[in-house]
Amino acid sequence: MTNEKSDYWKIDEKLIDHISKVSRLSLTEKEKEKYLKQLADILKTFKEIDEVDTENVEPSFHPLPLSNVWREDEVKKWKWDPLKNTEHKEEKCFKGPRIV
Amino acid sequence: MNTIIGMEVHCQLATKSKLFCGDSTTSKDAGPNINVCPTCLGFPGSKPKVNKRALDFGVMVALALNCKINANMFFSRKSYFYPDLSKNFQITQYEIPLAVSGYLEINNKKIRIRRVHIEEDPAKLNHVGGDITSAKYVLADYNRAGVPLLEIVTEPDFESPKEVREFLEKLSSILEHLEVYDSSWDAALRVDANISMEGSERIEIKNITGFRDTERALAHEVIRQRGILRMGMKIQRETRHFDAERRVTKSLRKKEFEEDYGYIFEPDLTKIEISKEWIEQLKKEMPELPDHRANRLVKEYGIDEYEAKVIIYTDKHLADFFEHSCKIYKNYKEVAKWMITYLLKSLNWHEISIRESKARPETFVELLEMIDKNVITERLAKEIIKDYIDTGKSPKQIVKEKGLEGFKSIDLDDVIKRVIDENTKAVSEYKSGREKALEYLIGKVLEKTKKAADPKKIREMILKSLQMI
Amino acid sequence: MIFIDSLVFQHVRNAREGNIDFDDFSQKVIEKSEKIQKKYLPFVTLVEKPVKPEKKGKLFYLPISVKDCICTEGIQSSAGSKILKGYVPPFDATSVRKVRDEGVFILGKTNQDEFGFGTFSINSGYDIPRNPLDPERSAGGSSGGAACLTAVADFPHVALAESTGGSISSPAAFTGTVGLTPTYGRVSRWGLIDYANSMDKIGVIGKCVNDVALIFSAISGHDPLDSTSLDIPDEDFTKNLNQPIKGMKAGVPKEYFEEGVDEKIKKIVWQGIKKLENLGVDIKEVSLPHTKYSVASYYIIAVCEASTNLSKYCGMRYGLHEPLDGNFDEYFSKVREDGFGEEAKRRIILGTYARMAGYRNAYYLKALKVRTKIIEDFKTAFKNVDVLLAPSMPVIAPKFKEIEKLEPIDHYMMDILTLGPNLAGIPMLSVPCGAVNGMPVGMHILADHLKEKNIFKIASSFEKVKK
Ligand SMILES: [Mg+2]
Ligand SMILES: [Zn+2]
Repeated sequence: MTNEKSDYWKIDEKLIDHISKVSRLSLTEKEKEKYLKQLADILKTFKEIDEVDTENVEPSFHPLPLSNVWREDEVKKWKWDPLKNTEHKEEKCFKGPRIV
Repeated sequence: MNTIIGMEVHCQLATKSKLFCGDSTTSKDAGPNINVCPTCLGFPGSKPKVNKRALDFGVMVALALNCKINANMFFSRKSYFYPDLSKNFQITQYEIPLAVSGYLEINNKKIRIRRVHIEEDPAKLNHVGGDITSAKYVLADYNRAGVPLLEIVTEPDFESPKEVREFLEKLSSILEHLEVYDSSWDAALRVDANISMEGSERIEIKNITGFRDTERALAHEVIRQRGILRMGMKIQRETRHFDAERRVTKSLRKKEFEEDYGYIFEPDLTKIEISKEWIEQLKKEMPELPDHRANRLVKEYGIDEYEAKVIIYTDKHLADFFEHSCKIYKNYKEVAKWMITYLLKSLNWHEISIRESKARPETFVELLEMIDKNVITERLAKEIIKDYIDTGKSPKQIVKEKGLEGFKSIDLDDVIKRVIDENTKAVSEYKSGREKALEYLIGKVLEKTKKAADPKKIREMILKSLQMI
Repeated sequence: MIFIDSLVFQHVRNAREGNIDFDDFSQKVIEKSEKIQKKYLPFVTLVEKPVKPEKKGKLFYLPISVKDCICTEGIQSSAGSKILKGYVPPFDATSVRKVRDEGVFILGKTNQDEFGFGTFSINSGYDIPRNPLDPERSAGGSSGGAACLTAVADFPHVALAESTGGSISSPAAFTGTVGLTPTYGRVSRWGLIDYANSMDKIGVIGKCVNDVALIFSAISGHDPLDSTSLDIPDEDFTKNLNQPIKGMKAGVPKEYFEEGVDEKIKKIVWQGIKKLENLGVDIKEVSLPHTKYSVASYYIIAVCEASTNLSKYCGMRYGLHEPLDGNFDEYFSKVREDGFGEEAKRRIILGTYARMAGYRNAYYLKALKVRTKIIEDFKTAFKNVDVLLAPSMPVIAPKFKEIEKLEPIDHYMMDILTLGPNLAGIPMLSVPCGAVNGMPVGMHILADHLKEKNIFKIASSFEKVKK
């Protein structure tokens, strides 16, 4: 795949700003500073997996190989009130924030 | 300035239940949030389980689109936040989709298909207090959330909006022939299109519903982009949306921030192995496809290849209509001619499909029979067809109601005779060389026949009668 | 038939014979639980009036507690997080339904690290459960509440718990209880609030091996609602209790006795291993060469999956709600900022990072491949042995004061002994093995996929000789 980063174990302020945007987490300056320091330590440990030779090794998506689990095309109706757990509702719809 | 268009087409697959849960896919008139369960609402602790039929459907379409089917496929999570996504990720396919590298031929041109994959439909949002750019809040109805979608991604092989329309019509016809799709569903077909003028930045138009609007949105975009370039300005890369009411595209947002989808494999689902046996089994089950049907219609009914293609590629239901009509009316060529020349034109003018119209083979055939029996003229039949599509009343009934019943072309002689007798002044004027008097006489005949007769024929007959005087 | 005994077995027998008045008994148990709650804080939610069981099943009138991340219909299930405060599931987890069908009643929801993110239960959105053996110390995590209650309750009780990377073994070891983490897919995850779906496992914490075998037999089995649930026949694991173990083979992975593990703990565990050897178990050293990489592999996969799982919490459909201000970016960010604790945010950031375009090959995909190597290590080892034996945790339950001084990476390293087995999805059981400074030490008994019966055989005999 293209565009792989060569300095992938480094995380800086610009990157953490981007990540907080992507993950919809507003972080205070203080939090950012603290996380940056901690992440540097953690990524140092993460980087250790570079040492493992994984050439021709298949990724394990689950601990045991699993395949072809599906259901038949049958309709099953849930009898419940889907809006019971929300405060934001109107006309039997979930009320959510505007887009722009 | 060459136009370059590529598309991502989303088609809803007509399974009975949703892609990952047992809710019904058809929610007509049920009211909002009726066909929902913890899974399609993303409630904590719920888990998806994939619908086998949706996989079958996907494989069949991939085969029909001449694709290479992957032996193993996986579902992935595509993460982005949006109020129509119950989990703020969509279960879709990423690096290992259902199928790749196919094509679909339109007018002897191959449109390459990059990939075909299965994913879940998001919810329907209602923007309250404005449109998407100005609303105060949204109301989300998750009846649609989790309906299986087939996403078909093309290469940028289209050179005009018209080609796009033809592609979409043929694609839709293929899907309907495979019985995996129902074009009457509310948002059965949705398109994200990338369009650029050669050498310029490309514009993405998101979420256009139906092929009529897709063609319109792209046509508008061609004009807009050419206008910008002609004025010597640059086109900036952006996402736009199509305002179907005003028939223009509008800027949605400049791409200052790119979402990072952060794909991972969906750990709540397993790998799917698509074996050769599975594919062979589906091949056996697959109904007749449009190309094959076109050949058959030519052979079986003796119609032109062109006619067969128009009937089949425009809409599968048009082809069904044709074959049904041919069962009860044996002049097949006439059926084809009348369908293409008049019925289809009328449908287009009304902007409805054959299924949305009230036309039925049984009543349509009445029209042809009445012409054969000289009950009505062809000209009258053309008038009646508009009424027929609008009201669904049988042509016989329309003739009766309008008092056209019993009017036969043999009676035209009588009418002409009477008009000539009653308008001696005009007759003599014509005889003395005044051409306009002939028009007057034709008009009188038309008046008396309530415009049911063919003016050309009237002209001929009057001329004949006048010669005899 | 071999007679199996414990407080739980006696109680169920009594109840089935009609010797127990439900209202009277359940009220007493609730009152006791309230007292325990005041002192040790094991609960997020303590039920006021339990639902009287209808079916006279194999677990009739048995009080159980359920970890907060396992959905219980009608009882708040918030996975220890403020962002799910007030969330009342409309359905039972399959494991909960199964034990309800056998006649249990639910006392309450036990406290945990938020979404399972922790080893000491200090990352809860609510209170922090204490270790009943020393309230200055942690009860372990993330199933800290479950182990705390199990350790201190003087009434028959078993806890439904959950482990992703060691969340059953850690609290079981720290509190001197017995904790079983089953084979991945053996117990349905339907109704489990996800941490990292490819590793999450519902298990059991009990006072003794017998109790654990009894409840595990009830909750395990195929469930069509969970695509990763294994389609294999049900087993009655109590049949493996009190069985001869002479001639069984046990491996001792040398990497699990290396630096980072408290010397005193190593010694205690070796003493335990010797006891098993005396019972006729054949002991041999084995190697799990990729152990070192389990921390990285585990945490990368875990945060990648977790960060997507946590996306759904945004104040729109359930859980924490705030006034609907701003556009969706602003509103979702605000709710998530207020609702998630510090560790959850850290893992969201890490996970979002490790699966971003340009990084996911180096982290996410690489970690999945390293997992393959780790699984191969175990598969190779189990070619020659029936079980592996090791310390459950590298330390005894630490004091909260000590935990405060640890950096996040130190926390992650605490799981070094449990991460490999959890990544590989093999079953494991932590059983009390002795004590250091008056605090319990757990011994881990690990087996190959679906070989829980080997674990029960060994553990059942060990429990008897260790005293
Ligand atoms: Mg898509
Ligand atoms: Zn559903």
